[in-house]
Amino acid sequence: MFRTCDITGFKVDLQSEKLIRYNAVFAVISLLLAVVAAILLIFTRYQPVHLLNAEWYYRLLTFHGLNALIFWIIFFEIAGLYFGSTVILNTKFCNPRWGWIAFALMVAGLLMSNTLILMGKADVMLTSYTPLKAHPLYYLGIILFAVGALVAVALFFGNLMIARRDRTYGDTLPLFTYGLMTAAIIAVITLASGALIYIPTFLWSLGLIGNIDAGMYKLIWWGLGHSSQQINVAAMVSIWYMVSFLSVGGTSINERVSRSAFVLYILFICLASAHHLLTDPGVSNAWKVWNTSYAMYLAVLASMIHAFAVPSSFESAQRRWGYNKGLFEWLSKAPWSNPAFASIILAVIGFGFIGGTTGVIFGMEQTNIIVHNTIAIPGHFKGTVVIGTTLTFMGITYYLIPLIFRRKIVGFKLAQWQPWLFFIGIAILSISMIVLGQLGVPRRHWDSTFSGGPFTHNFNPAVDFFWVLMMLGGCIAFISTILWILIVVVSVFFGPKVNGPQDMQLTVSPLAPEAKSHKGFEAPGTLVLTFIFLLVFIALFFLNWKWLAATWQVN
Amino acid sequence: MSLFSPSEDWYYKKVSKDEKMWILISLVLCLTLFVWMVLWHVYGKQNTSDLTYRTSTAEFTKLSEAYIKINMVGMDNGVPIVRPKPNSDVFVLAEMWRWSPILILEKDQKYKLHISSKDVMHGFSLQPVNMNFQVYPDYDYVLTFVPTELGEYKVICNEYCGIGHHTMIGKIVVIEKDSDLKQYGYDNLKKAPEVITTNRTAPLTEAEMVLMGEQIYNLKGCVGCHKTDGTSQLAPSWKGLFGKDEKVVENGNITSVKVDEDYIKESITDPKQKVTVGFEKVPMPAIPLTDDEIAQVISYIKTL
Repeated sequence: MFRTCDITGFKVDLQSEKLIRYNAVFAVISLLLAVVAAILLIFTRYQPVHLLNAEWYYRLLTFHGLNALIFWIIFFEIAGLYFGSTVILNTKFCNPRWGWIAFALMVAGLLMSNTLILMGKADVMLTSYTPLKAHPLYYLGIILFAVGALVAVALFFGNLMIARRDRTYGDTLPLFTYGLMTAAIIAVITLASGALIYIPTFLWSLGLIGNIDAGMYKLIWWGLGHSSQQINVAAMVSIWYMVSFLSVGGTSINERVSRSAFVLYILFICLASAHHLLTDPGVSNAWKVWNTSYAMYLAVLASMIHAFAVPSSFESAQRRWGYNKGLFEWLSKAPWSNPAFASIILAVIGFGFIGGTTGVIFGMEQTNIIVHNTIAIPGHFKGTVVIGTTLTFMGITYYLIPLIFRRKIVGFKLAQWQPWLFFIGIAILSISMIVLGQLGVPRRHWDSTFSGGPFTHNFNPAVDFFWVLMMLGGCIAFISTILWILIVVVSVFFGPKVNGPQDMQLTVSPLAPEAKSHKGFEAPGTLVLTFIFLLVFIALFFLNWKWLAATWQVN
Repeated sequence: MSLFSPSEDWYYKKVSKDEKMWILISLVLCLTLFVWMVLWHVYGKQNTSDLTYRTSTAEFTKLSEAYIKINMVGMDNGVPIVRPKPNSDVFVLAEMWRWSPILILEKDQKYKLHISSKDVMHGFSLQPVNMNFQVYPDYDYVLTFVPTELGEYKVICNEYCGIGHHTMIGKIVVIEKDSDLKQYGYDNLKKAPEVITTNRTAPLTEAEMVLMGEQIYNLKGCVGCHKTDGTSQLAPSWKGLFGKDEKVVENGNITSVKVDEDYIKESITDPKQKVTVGFEKVPMPAIPLTDDEIAQVISYIKTL
């Protein structure tokens, strides 16, 4: 059963649409659980308030990690995979029954793991490093969720096969779906690593296996933990290209380059778990250098390529629409009132300048010594997963509400503010965490005054200032997330119905006109921006290596 | 176009000049980063170690206890202090929830630190220099440090290791000459109780029993949770404990017991049998002690 979208002209399989809706709804629920925990955690670490006791701090930290990093992201990605493989390809969902089975497994996993955490049976953090042990049902919950997600990924490939057989999209996959396909391939690697480690750990928690080696656990667990972030990156970049198309009619200025970059992700990302073992015993230096650099930074190269290709797709389209003056008219005359567009541009900036720079520098073998397990690490991935992925997902939701849920956005004025508020909040939060970490403050730590310990340690007095900043940033981010959730929930359940293009609040741009033949640079503005990025990166690079050189000698 | 098939000639479209330039710059940057890490191994002074030995928690715990017993020069807040010779092997034990021993090191001298855990993962975080390393159980991680600055340093734990994680903090003091010890209060270190030879025939005097008990208290890590100053954050304080009536949970019921020899012995060998009310959430591990050792600990508790 299909309906034809009166706004975009795509054929929408109704079964698929329903699955997309349900998965998206559970994504939003998970996000809500995650941010409620987050605000309590912030006010615990902010020492003047010190809200929760130690037990509940660690419990909710586990809860926050699992809901934010796994449930919210993966539910949304499954919705995205279904969207990209059916709606965009004008094809039907290969097997809706299995779609619902996958969904049920994922929901069961979510309920089981969350319940066990809140019951106090799994205070082991998201990473659950052995020999810390949780209740067997906690591991089982995660296994169920992973199996459900794996089934969903298989269905995605099934949809691609049907579309290919029926030739519903022409000869070549659209770039958006191509990017999602790379995300799905990485997801298979990731979920396989997850099964490889969680199944033995589950058996160990039941007492059927005697011992799980701590080093092996950590290595394989990060095959899940880090690679899953690469699913996010691939999905997020795909959405960036899609929003470029929807908001200004742009496309990658060279699809061959963009697609090659996606392939680089697949080839080298599986080495990523090594990042997490840089200061660990048991692995050699040669192993560390090779793997942590993703074989000479070829996956970083992919992100650098997208860092140019995505903004240049906006710039090139805008220039063809006639915004051709100077270096930056394309940017100043961009559709900033479109919240999806604003979200994506802010996500690109945050991901690159905060998450990307720190990610590469902290991930180098030796500089990792000065940040490992400090609060700078969650600071870094607030810059990637939160400003990057989460804000991107929030942004694209502003398109999904009218196009998939067929409702108008309630409170559109607020929606236009929300991405900015979120960006500012997380940027402050993330940067202050990074600074705190560079001053030595540990992550996952209930009391940085060390009460009850034999000694105490006073951090650099500057930390007081950054704790306040972190708390403020967290509050702003919390408010804007709640705002987003309210907008989404109210719109989806109570918003006025969308009956055609006249009800679209966000622009759906026609394709930008063909370029007249041009010489020289295609996106000079983007080139300038990427050079600024390069300078910031180099400055941070030398700063960190200088700090490292000032520490004790060790080898 | 990202939602439609690209135009037919997409594969053959020339890459624009600026994009080519950027890709080239990026590639050069990536290769530079790679070479940089390799060169730092040759010219840099901070590199993680290649050297790890396979061990077991029991073996390493024994090793570090023996090391401390032989080399201990005093105590600070219940943590033994060791002053290793330059170039020597030093055994640092991480356990729930303390680092032992405290180290007195000399500036610009080399020390081979063997670090391992007695139980779960820990994080060795040296502050305020801010150097961080992961500590595993069953892996003996050998890191050769050269302290380059004088002063008092703390070792905090930055890998979650259970409910008392935040109390896990140790100390390293870096000196140049003996007179530097004064500013850290280490100038006249109380000599630790002499190790009493076990193969003598006469029974121990009560005073010797107390000294031995105190040594066990420190070496086996009781001090990590049980304080002797009357504070009871993680576990009941031992101050004035003996002879007291304690409310405990036994088989889910709250009962009252008198703290006597039998109760203490049971609590050491089977800590889950009776758990003091208020500490149900902080399980105590069973500590493998001999009957003689338990008697010595009891003698020590009686004096508090």
